[in-house]
This record gives sequence, C-alpha cells and structure tokens, in this order.
Amino acid sequence: MVAPPDNDVLWARALHFRHDDGSPGLSGVSLGVREGEILAVSGPRGSGKSTLLRCLSGLVPANDGEVWFNSVPVHTMGPAARERLRRDRFGWIDPAPVLVPELNVWENAALPLMLRGTGRRRAKAAALEWLERLDVGDRARRHPVELTHAERQRVCIARALAPAPSVLFADEPTAPLHRVDRAHVLRTLTTAARSHGITVVLATHEARTAALADRTVSLLDGRCVRTVHLPPVSGPAESEGRAACSLSV
Amino acid sequence: MLALRLSLGAQPAVQVRRLLVASASAGTGFLLLSALGHALSHPDPAASALRLAWCTAPLAATVYLAVAVARTDPATRPRPGLSAVGLGPVKLMAVSAATTALSCVLGSVLALLVFLQLRGDLTGMSLGGDAQEFLAAGRPLPLPAALTLLALVPLSASAAAAMTLRPREPVSGAGRAARAYGRFGAYRRTPVRESFGAYGRFGRQLGAAARGRRTDTEAPAREQDGAPADAAEVTGAEAADGSPAVVPPPVPTTAPSGLPWGIAVLAVGLAVEALTSRTGSEGGPAAFLGLALTSLGLALVGPGLTHLCGRLLQAVRPGALRLLAGRVLMTEAARIGRPLGVVCAVVSAAYAMASLHDRDDPSAGPLVVLGVLLVAGCTVATLLTAAVEAKQAHADTTASLRRLGAPAGTLRRAAALRAAALLALFGPLTVAVAELSAWPLGG
Repeated sequence: MVAPPDNDVLWARALHFRHDDGSPGLSGVSLGVREGEILAVSGPRGSGKSTLLRCLSGLVPANDGEVWFNSVPVHTMGPAARERLRRDRFGWIDPAPVLVPELNVWENAALPLMLRGTGRRRAKAAALEWLERLDVGDRARRHPVELTHAERQRVCIARALAPAPSVLFADEPTAPLHRVDRAHVLRTLTTAARSHGITVVLATHEARTAALADRTVSLLDGRCVRTVHLPPVSGPAESEGRAACSLSV
Repeated sequence: MLALRLSLGAQPAVQVRRLLVASASAGTGFLLLSALGHALSHPDPAASALRLAWCTAPLAATVYLAVAVARTDPATRPRPGLSAVGLGPVKLMAVSAATTALSCVLGSVLALLVFLQLRGDLTGMSLGGDAQEFLAAGRPLPLPAALTLLALVPLSASAAAAMTLRPREPVSGAGRAARAYGRFGAYRRTPVRESFGAYGRFGRQLGAAARGRRTDTEAPAREQDGAPADAAEVTGAEAADGSPAVVPPPVPTTAPSGLPWGIAVLAVGLAVEALTSRTGSEGGPAAFLGLALTSLGLALVGPGLTHLCGRLLQAVRPGALRLLAGRVLMTEAARIGRPLGVVCAVVSAAYAMASLHDRDDPSAGPLVVLGVLLVAGCTVATLLTAAVEAKQAHADTTASLRRLGAPAGTLRRAAALRAAALLALFGPLTVAVAELSAWPLGG
C-alpha cells in the first residue's frame, strides 16, 4: 500500500461498490480532497454521489479500493473504529433534515458534542453560537416540528458544524428547498466552512451549487468523468441563454 | 386473498405476533365454549351468566392485543409500493381487519377442535372428573350457539382494528395552526400606533413579516432564548425566509391528562375496599367494585406516571444519555404508559384475587388459571408490542443518529435506562397497590 500525498486530507483510489441487490454503485472512482477545500461531487440522480460519500465517510465499506484519511487507512478499519472516526472527525448532513423530534433545537445541535463527552455547558454554548451564526438562534428553544423546512436544514448544518469536524459530508443538503432557501443555506454552509477551515465534500446535481465549490468532480454512472454533456437545445429562442451559462470543463 | 398473500410474506417476528393473537383467541374461545358447556349441564342460568360475564376480561385482553399487533403490522401500513397500485389507506385498513380476523378465526377453530376433542366428539374418548362440569360431554352441542360465541372474538377484534387504523386526515400544520386569539387588534384590523422611526426600520416593509402578523409575544420569546440578536438582522432573516412571524404554538410534549383522574379513581377504589372490610361484607359486590376501581385507576395513571418518569430522568443537567432516555420516554408516554398501566392493574388485581381465592374451593381451578394466564399474557404481550411499535416509530431518528456517529452502546444504554426507570417506578407502585387492596379483602 502506498501512502497518499500529504496535502490530501481524504484520498480514495479505485473505489468499487455494488449494492446488496447487485445493482452497480461505483466502478473505479479515485479522488483526493485537499485540506480546507470545498469539493463538489456533481452528477445526475443515480450517478453514485451519495454512495461515494457513504464510502468516503466510512458509513459503508467499499467492496474494493482504498480510502485514506490523514494517512490512516479507513478501508481496513472495523465497524467500531469507523464509527469512532465518524463521530470524532467527520460530520454528515442528510438531504432531508432528520432531527431528534423529542429534543429542542439547541439540544439537537449540541447532541454530537455531548455524545463525544463534552460537558453540557460547553456543548450548549457551542451549539447556541452556531445556531446564531446560521440565523436560527431565535428558535433555539423551539422543537423541530415548529420550524420550517429550511430552518430545520440550517439546524442540521449547525449540528454538523458544532463539533468542528475535519471533513463535512453534505449529501445534497439543499435538494428539497426552494431557490431562495437553497442559496441561503448553501451560502451559510460554505462561509462557515471556509472561515473555520473545514473541508467539505458536497454532493449536488446542480451546476449552480457546484459553482460555489473550489473544485468539482463529476460522476456519471459510478465513474468520474471529465465532461458533462448538456441536453440538446430545443429552440433558437433558448440558445442565447444557454450559451451564456454553458459549462466549460 | 390479498390479505392472505401479505400475511404469508411477512417476517418471522410478525408471524410470531400473529400466532400470539391466534393463541389468545383460542384461549378466549375455549373459555366461552366452557361457559356454554356449563350452561348446558347446569339448569341455573344465573351461575352460567356469571361465568359468561367473567369471559369479558379475557375477551377484552385479546382484542387489546389484536389491536396492538395490527398497529405494528408492517404489511398494513401505507407504503409507496402499494399506493402505486392503488392500495390506499382505506383498502389497507380493510386488509388489516381481514388479517386480524384471519388470525382470530384460526384461534377460534383451534379452540373448537380442542373443546370437541376433550368432550370426546372426535375420538369418542372424553375427559372425566371435574371437567365434566363445563364440557357437558353427554349432551349434544348446539352448533349455532357455539359458532356465535366463537365469532365473537374475530368480529370484535377486526372491528376494533379497523376502528383504530381508520384513515384520518392529518391536521395540516397542527403546530402552526394554533392561532393566537390574543389581544385586541392582533390581526391589525385597527390602525396601528406608529412610533417614531418605526416605518424606516430595516426590513420592516419586506416579506410576510411586514404584513402585520408580528405579535408582541415574539420579543419576549427571543429574550428568553438567551440570544440577544440584533433586531435588524433577525427581521431581515425572517423576511428572507418568507415565513410568517411566529405565533407560539402549544408545547408539543404536553403531559397526558389522565394522572389526576387516575389517582382519584385509585383512591376511591382503595377507600371502597377499606370500607367493605370494615363493614364486614367481604367478597361481596362492593369489594369487587373496589378492586375494579383500583385496577381502572392504575391503568389510567400509567401514561401520566410514565411522562413523570421521563421528566425526572432528564431533570437536572442531563448529558446525552439521560436526555435521549428521558425525552423519548416523555413523548412515548401515551404509547408505552397505557399498556404498562394495564399490566400493573392486571398484576395487582391478580394478586388481590389470589389472596381472596385461596380460601375458596378450587372447583373452577383450571379454567380460572387459564383465564388469568390469558389476561396476564395478553397484557404483557401488548406491552412488548407497544415497545416494538415505539422502536419502529423511532427508526428514522435512530438511523440519523447512527449516521452522526452516535455509538450503538449509548442508544442501547438509553433504552435500558428507560426500562429500568419504568421498572423502578411501576414495580413498587404495583406491589403497594396490590398489598393495599389485598389487605382488606383478605382481612
């Protein structure tokens, strides 16, 4: 085994993954994530973005290939070690905001810290600070059911950011939101990550979202691709607008 | 047919639950048939009617179990795969009722076969001795009466399951819909007092927040949140969301309301028992009334006490473990507490009845034992099924916690802590109530 280059905090080589039912997930994905960058993994639905994130974060073991985190092999770890790594170093944001409905907002945000053994007072202070930064500080004592979808998603982001993870995995964090909320959520996420030097791996199927990232890796059918073919332009009226916002890769 | 296909394709745990329902139904059916046999062999209708009346306890326990099992049945929950082919909630309710009826009919048939076997109708060899009394071996069994009695369990169980699972329209936006019919002018129909500079404040004229739904309750709420936010910034954020200004909705985790009633009924029951022991009419209807009231009170007290237990668990500066354990217990108070209260009621009633019955002649021995076992087993099984239901309801949350990296040990410890807290609260309570109600009866 060859250790990865030093400037990559997360590094994957030739990842292969096949789902339990035999359907193909990933076939030979290699990528490196540099320290402090925001990497967008883009591609249409079903192209293996979520699977790649799950493999990288150690949620599921890859069938074949290597994942290194800070020169530590993740692919050889057992489930318990991967769980500890995920708890201590990684953050995760779901596409839909799944909060613990029984706890109120700040308790939800402080839960990962408390699970790591941080004291209640410090966890609460950190959680409230992050909630304030993400514009949900005034909802801190509400329960998740009383919040709108976008607010809940921001609470999820605060929950993921509060323990100051090394790498934050965001699996289409803005998919179910409207565009105004989407821009707001993404801007707060990227700003917070940049100001705190948190590495972000962001799965998205939108070109606009990917534009906020430092670098984009395109996936198609479980493989890394260099070019993305845009759908054919239907009428002459749209061609002007299309030319203005076309992707150059 | 569809119900049968769905039933057969289920997992072993689900099949075990359905088998429990079937066996409970078999036991109840056997007890009902025994009451019929007693009526056949005895001329006195009052004694037989009393026996039939005692059968309501196992019948109720069986129906309770059947409903709990139907609620946890994964085959009868609305799912995308079935709604795609047009099986909506109404049809699934019918499927669920049919599945329940199926298991109960299975049990009833079993009960009939066992009863006929013991009577000797099938093999020509009958049980002698005490059993002659309720088997009525020598006499022909009236078929319509037997079938009517046996149909009682399946019909009531499936009706109760359909009633429980009937599709209800969810109240849209339940949390937000609670409008504050608050102070005069809350809807801004009257002209507003404009203070100096209020118009030009940043973000005042943007979005829904500006259209007059801002109530004065918002400001204190923000202050108590401990987040002294800049007013202009918060107003701008609300305008960007387009969300209406918040009307504080009722707290979603309110305590169940049955606790005072339960305590009152429990106290009245104990008082009635004490009174009958003083007046010397032991074993009379008044004593049974007292026992019934005590049991009812214990059952009513269950959800409230469970909520209290959860509240105590998460009381003083909780960490993650106590927070998860206590809060889940508080929200699950109705689901877990009700069957738990019923179990406590059954246990304490059985204890009191045992102390009452040890002086009586054990003539109806096996049937009484069967009935008590049936009721106790059904209630305990219902409690376990409710626990399974609560676990299913939390599956999403648990999965998301696991994705966050929450250790499985913590989640397991939280569950164990919940169980231990419930046991610590309800165990001594049950024993105390049982002792208190057995003392005058046995006195």
